Amino acid sequence: MIHLPKEETKLMVAVHGWSGILLGLLLYAVVLTGMAAVFAREIGIWSAGYIENGSVFERPIDHVVRDLAARTPTRDHEGIDLFEVGDNNLGLFFHHHETEPSGELVNRGVYYQVDRDGRVVSEQRGTGEDVFGPRNDDALSSFLVDTHVRLHIPNPWGLLLTGILGLAMLVAAISGLLIHRHLFKDIFTLRRKASPVLVDRDRHSVAGTWSLPFAFILAFTGSFFSFFGTVGVPIVAMAAFGGDQQALNEAVFGDPARPDPRARAIGNLDRITADAFRRTGEAPTFLSIENFGRADSAVTSFHNPGTGDIEPMTLVYHGATATFDRVKPSIGTRPSTGGMLAAIMGPLHFGNFAGLISKAVWFGLGFAMCYVTLTGLRLWLTRRRENARSLAWLDRTVSVVGFGLPLALLVAAAAFLAAMPLGSAVFWTPAAFLGACATAILAGFLSVTNATLERVLQIAIGLLLIALPLIRLATGGPGWPQAIEAGQPVIMAVDLAMLIAGGGVLWRMLAPHRSGLAEHPMLQPAE
Amino acid sequence: MTYFLPASLAFSVAVMVLLCHGDPKRRRAAHQPGAAHGVSMRRLLAVAGLLPGLVLAGTGDAAAFLIWLGGCAVGGWLVALWAGRQPAK
Repeated sequence: MIHLPKEETKLMVAVHGWSGILLGLLLYAVVLTGMAAVFAREIGIWSAGYIENGSVFERPIDHVVRDLAARTPTRDHEGIDLFEVGDNNLGLFFHHHETEPSGELVNRGVYYQVDRDGRVVSEQRGTGEDVFGPRNDDALSSFLVDTHVRLHIPNPWGLLLTGILGLAMLVAAISGLLIHRHLFKDIFTLRRKASPVLVDRDRHSVAGTWSLPFAFILAFTGSFFSFFGTVGVPIVAMAAFGGDQQALNEAVFGDPARPDPRARAIGNLDRITADAFRRTGEAPTFLSIENFGRADSAVTSFHNPGTGDIEPMTLVYHGATATFDRVKPSIGTRPSTGGMLAAIMGPLHFGNFAGLISKAVWFGLGFAMCYVTLTGLRLWLTRRRENARSLAWLDRTVSVVGFGLPLALLVAAAAFLAAMPLGSAVFWTPAAFLGACATAILAGFLSVTNATLERVLQIAIGLLLIALPLIRLATGGPGWPQAIEAGQPVIMAVDLAMLIAGGGVLWRMLAPHRSGLAEHPMLQPAE
Repeated sequence: MTYFLPASLAFSVAVMVLLCHGDPKRRRAAHQPGAAHGVSMRRLLAVAGLLPGLVLAGTGDAAAFLIWLGGCAVGGWLVALWAGRQPAK
């Protein structure tokens, strides 16, 4: 493929190895939780036992918005965000824009949650960050997403860290491409009976080669999301808008219509959602109202990509008359290549552009990247076999994180299922995760060999995968007939996926004919 | 397009199985007897495997093209893993 001079190849190998070894375990945590978070919505439905099908925007919402607006301070009519929460409930965030003393732009207001009968079940006041925390019924999916997005580190540091991890993945992908001389010649070669270095090298390079294009895409789009709000927006605001982020938002994403602050009642919102449904073929995923109760009010309806497309659709309506205005590009007022590229960042990263099929493929790619990360760490260690004693702690750490992390996520899921009916899932989900992490670390200290540790952790993973559907049923989750009758086959699909995956792991670990394969190829004496 | 995407993905993965089966380096490493594919055959199979992707890209169906590309990446890796588990002769 690409033939670099010997010295440059050595340099690239060093860049590839050190970028991986310094951040590899954190990167593994981000990629693993990202892989699971591809199905965050389905995991939310499965874990909380949601059996309401369809969109909240297929129900009338107009009277709900008007009633709540009447009891909300007019200052918070500047913006209203509407979205689905929980089991087909409606979330409404009435807010105004505010700049913190630190210069950070925030939305502050009142967040209501309304059930399907129109009753307000929750009312909170504060900034967006204050009110959009995890709820009892979505604590598990929130925990997964928060781990992936910022490793539970407060903003902006968590986002900066995951952005740097994305860049490290990009560096590793580019340097890996440059150092691999026989990219296509080796694409099917997995030697099993060669030296440990070659065995690990083959595992790493074959999985890395197949997933290389997507490693670029996922690393780039992930870094884009991490750095967009934390670095990009403040820098552009400082350079072009005197530090005024609100002015930047209005110029780049906003409505260019001339302000008209005269009071005027909003048009029928149900007419808008029906029209948006008719134009796009599906209900909105999110609705945003600007300047509610004014003559210049605008309603923006956000939609998933249409059939065959990967660019999400955004429609804008005149709020006062409830009439269609235009299709809105992601950036600016006219369609552009930059706007299109910005718009497809989300679907390319989340893999949600074609429903469950694209999500399943993205899940598979995430699994391949977890494998690449772990085998890369293994390869780096195997190559330094002569320093086995000094690096044994790192080898053990890779085993603890590599198998302890998925185990801890499964324990968190089990804790969620047990605690949700009691109303304490927000506490117990992360608490159980930390407890399982501590147990895996303790097992790492107590195990005699890495092979034993990995075997025990994998058996525990297999057992938990099989146990989770049973725990879900035992704690009051809907059965398969009830879920299918309600039009929610996702619950059965997740159960089946867990049973099959758990059975596969246990078969791999416990089948007698495979015992010879369980030998650890790592850090063996020199041949 | 409903059936074309799964059909094209299945076709490309089947071609990858053939490519893997006749891959000279893999056969040498696994000490498998019999002739490996020649250069022309491998090129022909590679082009055949890419054809469905070209058709999908040509129709402008970006979603189907990405699913095909991602599916081929995962499928190719699984084919390599499966072949790597076959006992050496």
